[in-house]
Amino acid sequence: MITLPLLLVLLLWGTIVGLDVVTFPQSMVSRPLVAGTVTGMLIALVVPDSRLNPVFTGMLVGSVLELYALDVLPFGAARYPDFGPATVSAVYAALGWKPEAGLGGATAVGLVTAVLGGWTMQMVRRANAAAIQRKAAALAAGDTRAIRSLQLGGIRRDIARSAGVTACGLLLGIIIWPLLPPGSENFRWVSVVAVGGGVAAALSGAIRVAGRTRRLAWVMAGLAGGILIVGLQ
Amino acid sequence: MNGRWRAFLRLFAVQGAWNYERMLGVGMGYAAEPLLEDLGNADPGRHAEAVVRSAEFFNCHPYLAGLALGATVRAEYDQVPGPQIIRLRTALCSPLGALGDQLFWTGLSPALLSAALIAVCFGAGAWVTLVFLLLYNVARIATGIWSLRTGLAAGADVGHKIADSWLPKAARRVGPVAGFLIGLAVPLVGDWALQWVTGYQFALAVGIALLGMFLSLRFRHSITSVRFALGMIALTLAWRWIA
Repeated sequence: MITLPLLLVLLLWGTIVGLDVVTFPQSMVSRPLVAGTVTGMLIALVVPDSRLNPVFTGMLVGSVLELYALDVLPFGAARYPDFGPATVSAVYAALGWKPEAGLGGATAVGLVTAVLGGWTMQMVRRANAAAIQRKAAALAAGDTRAIRSLQLGGIRRDIARSAGVTACGLLLGIIIWPLLPPGSENFRWVSVVAVGGGVAAALSGAIRVAGRTRRLAWVMAGLAGGILIVGLQ
Repeated sequence: MNGRWRAFLRLFAVQGAWNYERMLGVGMGYAAEPLLEDLGNADPGRHAEAVVRSAEFFNCHPYLAGLALGATVRAEYDQVPGPQIIRLRTALCSPLGALGDQLFWTGLSPALLSAALIAVCFGAGAWVTLVFLLLYNVARIATGIWSLRTGLAAGADVGHKIADSWLPKAARRVGPVAGFLIGLAVPLVGDWALQWVTGYQFALAVGIALLGMFLSLRFRHSITSVRFALGMIALTLAWRWIA
């Protein structure tokens, strides 16, 4: 179903959200909820097929991946998955399927792409360090051109990284479906596991951050409220 | 001192050349360049030293980097001795990192995202993501402007200014709100995303959530939530292929 205009739009958007994760401007467009919804909107613009309902698919896949991303804290030198391009690829992977069937495979695509994105982030950071080593003399002399060149070089590397990760994710979104056991019921089981894993991720992340402080009581109070609302519904 | 707006805009890319050697150092040097231009005209020798110092190792939360940038640049103009400026930079790393992480990464960001997720579960449309982006970025940009202004005004006295400011109080207060909203959002999203499944399948999702929570809290360094989920998906696929 992928067409050249759609491929180009998704590659561009994946690159923008990949860049947003760390490098520029960290405006949170790379959060899965945002990236997923906007991916859906972009697909709706490029492929005006009302049966696909891409905006809803984007919000659904984005919400589930957001549960996983809530467990990630981008502290300083921490290594973490890159959910920006991963969400773009995941939403693309879910297109054409009923939500309950497509969600699991799409989440799997998203998680694998996010891990790949995390690895490539380490590679970019090492490449940035190597570039600094090469310009050590210029930096020690207070050469502003060297600083500028290092900064722009780092941004260029991250642009290439983000585009590459998005391309890999989109490819994975195409080849994932033959790997899954055929039948919508099988796909539905994968969706169940994917959502269960997301709930585990968000809650364990919230509990870990809270530690044994007063915040833990607030997490538990919110959880009780959420379970109560679900029960009442 | 000119170049404040250019420096502010460059701070959006302060992590552009992030690396394990100098961390934010190069980005700080890049953002400092417009602010140091006047120093270059007045005292070229001091300017060269200031440029070297501006790009040395530095790490903090990116949104609060303006405080350190402004303070150190002001100290350069005030002719504060170089070793003292280096000590000031080093001293600012941890508090600015901790405050920013508390305020944004574990506070405002998850709080607003959880609120957005709750709204989505209750039927809100795509507009909710735009509202999230707007609110978050207004807070983030306002903090960035305040940071650079405060740093430039305070110079070497920036530590006291931070301690007396709204920042530590806000960082403390936003945490419980974020915790509550995450707790509230998670079951709602789980239920919303599984609205099509049968009772057995819903029970399985709850079981997996409990198992995943236990394993990732107990073995946090070896079993991350992503590894757990991918492992469970692989097991499910194997089971369904065999079945």
